[in-house]
Amino acid sequence: MSVIDILTRVDAICKKYDKYDIEKQKDSNVSGDDAFARLYGVVEADIEAALEKAEAASKEKNRASVVALNAEIRRTKARLLEEVPKLQRLAMKRVDILVFSLNFLFVKGLSTEEFAARNDLVLALPDRIQAIPDGTAAAPKQSGGWSASASRTEIKFDSVHVQMGGLTMNTFNKVKSLVSLGRSMKCVKQSRQDQGLEMISEGLDTLKNMAHDMNEELDRQVPLMDEIDTKVDRATADLKNTNVRLKDTVNQLRSSRNFCIDIILLCIILGIAAYLYK
Amino acid sequence: MASSDPHKLMTKADKLTKLSLTRWSADWKSATQLYEQAANGYRVAKDYEKAKIAFEKASKGQEMLSSPWDAAKHMESAAVLAKDLGNWTEVADFYRKASELYTECGRPQPASDALAKAARSLSHSPACSALEDADPDDAIQLYTDACDILEEDGKEQMAFDLYRAAANVYIKLEKYTDAAAFLLRLGLAADKCKATNSQCKAYLSAIVVYLYAHDFKQAEKCYNDCSQKDKGENVGLLPLAYCRIDAFLRSDQSRCASKLLSAYREGDVEEIKRVAHSSTISNLDNTIIKLARKLPTGEVTALKTDDGKDEEALDENDLT
Repeated sequence: MSVIDILTRVDAICKKYDKYDIEKQKDSNVSGDDAFARLYGVVEADIEAALEKAEAASKEKNRASVVALNAEIRRTKARLLEEVPKLQRLAMKRVDILVFSLNFLFVKGLSTEEFAARNDLVLALPDRIQAIPDGTAAAPKQSGGWSASASRTEIKFDSVHVQMGGLTMNTFNKVKSLVSLGRSMKCVKQSRQDQGLEMISEGLDTLKNMAHDMNEELDRQVPLMDEIDTKVDRATADLKNTNVRLKDTVNQLRSSRNFCIDIILLCIILGIAAYLYK
Repeated sequence: MASSDPHKLMTKADKLTKLSLTRWSADWKSATQLYEQAANGYRVAKDYEKAKIAFEKASKGQEMLSSPWDAAKHMESAAVLAKDLGNWTEVADFYRKASELYTECGRPQPASDALAKAARSLSHSPACSALEDADPDDAIQLYTDACDILEEDGKEQMAFDLYRAAANVYIKLEKYTDAAAFLLRLGLAADKCKATNSQCKAYLSAIVVYLYAHDFKQAEKCYNDCSQKDKGENVGLLPLAYCRIDAFLRSDQSRCASKLLSAYREGDVEEIKRVAHSSTISNLDNTIIKLARKLPTGEVTALKTDDGKDEEALDENDLT
């Protein structure tokens, strides 16, 4: 089995048994146990999707599709705004009761910091939702929100600092810590993507090398094939020639009387032999 | 058939060829036939020594009958048997003779094939590791001759494998400059055939070999030469900055080579190791990969200061 076969097989097997990989599951559902985090995660995902759609809409040339996309975005925003009060209620909870009942060995309470952080997160959500461009918004006002890419975060960061003069330093620091948390989560995702991309690139390198070698090998064999071609042509011509001559010779033999004489003599001999044996 | 039959055939054939008072000219035709039969009989009976002799005589017979092709074929069979016997000088001789006969036929390719087979059997011989001089040198000589034959015929494409094998033998003998020279010859041949991938790989291998031999200047010079060679212009002395764009420079291998050289210049061992484990290097020959994995050899930091002096000298040359 070649290396490539082994690689593809291993990948297929890993994919098949991914669902049994506990660590992976934990990572993907970082917040499996925590109701707040779960809902927050869902809302985040929706916001991301809406932002993507907004970007697509801005790039789209067709007016009709732009309008359709914007309408979708507005609908999503309305839905998300409805979810926000739910999140606020969850954020208020000091300790997740369900978790507490399950793991009574150790209390999974929230630290003060986390608690405050959650509250801030939820407070910032409505602004973020409103900030999603849906074709009706004017120049987007700076929200207290932080966007996905780090560079935009920095720009928004400054504007937050300037605009929200009313916020206390405390809140400001909390916002900073949340931003870094978000960034680190993104980094983890990106590093995993990088790893995957590296593997792909290595495989492609091998493929490229093999393809080049195959190319050269074929180039090498082309003149050989030409030689074979000429030689075989010559051989076929010779064969044809020989066949024609053979045919002539056989015809000559056949047309002469020798053939008939041969048959008669043969019959005589057979007759004599039969007579002798009878 | 009993094993005495080949004996009988041999004696009979010998009698036919020996000139005496009653016989004024040797009857090579029937003698050759008898020799061939005897040789086959011996081979089946696993009597390699006698079979070899029989094949030799058969080949001579064919030569007398002026059919060099058959003669060469018999010589090759004799050589194979000599290899089984472990008689390496005879192996070389027989294969050489066979190759000459093939060239007589006007077939250069089987000729070089015969030499290549000889070289391969010599380099794979167990005696190779014991005697370090005689056999591998012979092998290299055979490889060189084989490559020459092919190049004369204009079929450099076939020569690639031979060059690579010869370079491997040199590396086994630890003659790194010679190995690198052979790899550069390979690059030249590939250039003629427009086989850019092989060419770039050959240059990269040569650079790796130079670096392994701890010859950084040569490696750099090699890299510059290769970057300028393909343009086909005779540019003479050019400073490092003036590298033209061409087939080698555009390739992955040249990027890898420049990374390796810059890592050496910085004296960064980690970087060297990382480049040496990259996929570009892994696409080269196995022996070269082994060398690359063992990089860096010796002191790497010393190269930094040397290089500074070197660049100053070049600048002076520029101004004058």
